[in-house]
Amino acid sequence: MGVSFRVDVSVQDMAGQFPSAKSAGAEVYTDKQLLVLRSRDPVGIKFAGEIDASNSHAVSTSIAAAITPEADLHVDVTALIFCDISGIRAFVATAEALPEGRRMLLHGMPPQLETVIRVVGWNELPTLVVCECGSD
Amino acid sequence: MYAGIDDFLAGTVPFVKGGLEAGEPVLVVESTSKISMLRAELGRDAELVHFADMAGVGANPARIIPAWRDFVNQHGGGGRRLRGIGEPIWKTRGPFELIECQRHESLLNTAFAGGDPWWLLCPYDTVALDPDVIDEARRSHPYVTDGATFRQSNDYRGLDASGAPFDVPLPEPSSIAQELAFQNGDLVALRGLVYRRASAAGLDASKSADLVLAVNEIATNSLQHGGGKGTLRVWEDMSALTCEVRDSGQFNSPLVDRERPAAGAAGPRGLWLANQLCDLVQIRTFATGTAVRLHMWLKPAAHEHNHNSDTIDSITLA
Repeated sequence: MGVSFRVDVSVQDMAGQFPSAKSAGAEVYTDKQLLVLRSRDPVGIKFAGEIDASNSHAVSTSIAAAITPEADLHVDVTALIFCDISGIRAFVATAEALPEGRRMLLHGMPPQLETVIRVVGWNELPTLVVCECGSD
Repeated sequence: MYAGIDDFLAGTVPFVKGGLEAGEPVLVVESTSKISMLRAELGRDAELVHFADMAGVGANPARIIPAWRDFVNQHGGGGRRLRGIGEPIWKTRGPFELIECQRHESLLNTAFAGGDPWWLLCPYDTVALDPDVIDEARRSHPYVTDGATFRQSNDYRGLDASGAPFDVPLPEPSSIAQELAFQNGDLVALRGLVYRRASAAGLDASKSADLVLAVNEIATNSLQHGGGKGTLRVWEDMSALTCEVRDSGQFNSPLVDRERPAAGAAGPRGLWLANQLCDLVQIRTFATGTAVRLHMWLKPAAHEHNHNSDTIDSITLA
């Protein structure tokens, strides 16, 4: 299930784009440019919108709610249309702080994000895995 | 300094051979045509030399110092000296690239002062290049050679001046610039503007995304370190789409945009990233603040090193 955004979309409340999710109580965080939802299959977290220095603090706290020691953490970024270095740093820090042996699996990674991770030198971390498997 | 290919080879081949004989690792970053000529002159010895295409490594001259540093880190150590040849300035470099190449040449002194012993030879084509460029080479290099002998350059500006904040003025935009003042909360609008201009200029999706990210990072620096606000200007001309971010902060780390970030979460990365993603980055610090210009070329062919120009322009018939 894919969601497409135009880059210049402006919405007062990102959650308005996902009415069913909102009503199901899956909303973890929302601001003017970002929506974070719990996902069910696989269990994890989905990000939609844009992450930058104004809201990258929300990445760690949003993900924290979904961490369980029994399973790897699935993070869907298919609908993350922009993520800056502070956002990637937050994903990296969260991955590094996972319980022993647990990994963060990123689904739907845009090629741009992969480039940035490689250029900045974070592609060698064992706890952060870019997953080639299909999401949903 | 060399005039003609024979002169070039006379100055570089003994340098390379001397390094090989002394067991010193040698890296040559040159045009593909000069690399071919050197290989031909060195014969079997060429297998021991590391070669890299300057048009690839140094299209954005700020990427040259990290390339040298990688070489030194990989092959240095134990007090062994390393040798390098790097010719970053060629005739078809545009004026903005040229000034940044000259800044790079100056920063080489700062980048490698006090580190592993390192003997770097920078060839300058006295036939093809303007006299101003040759004069600046004398100011940025402690030693000059016209062949076999080295002598101190009386015009060398010295190590402190080499690494001083760069305050050569930037020319006003070449066309009408769209301007956007920004502060906290305005980054979404800022990114939208850059993305629209990039698409309108014909940059493909990947380059557009690269530019948006680079501008975002520089603007974020302004918000966090440059006084909490800044001004974006965007303009397009025949050769480039340019985004400029100005703020009131002072920038005094001349090499931070050329230092590969260490793995791990902390540390500055925005300027390094901009250099990897953009075709040219110009950084200036004035008394009133800092300006960073990010250029994406629109007609890449105009800025590629014309490999044929070496054989045509720099051979002098004695």
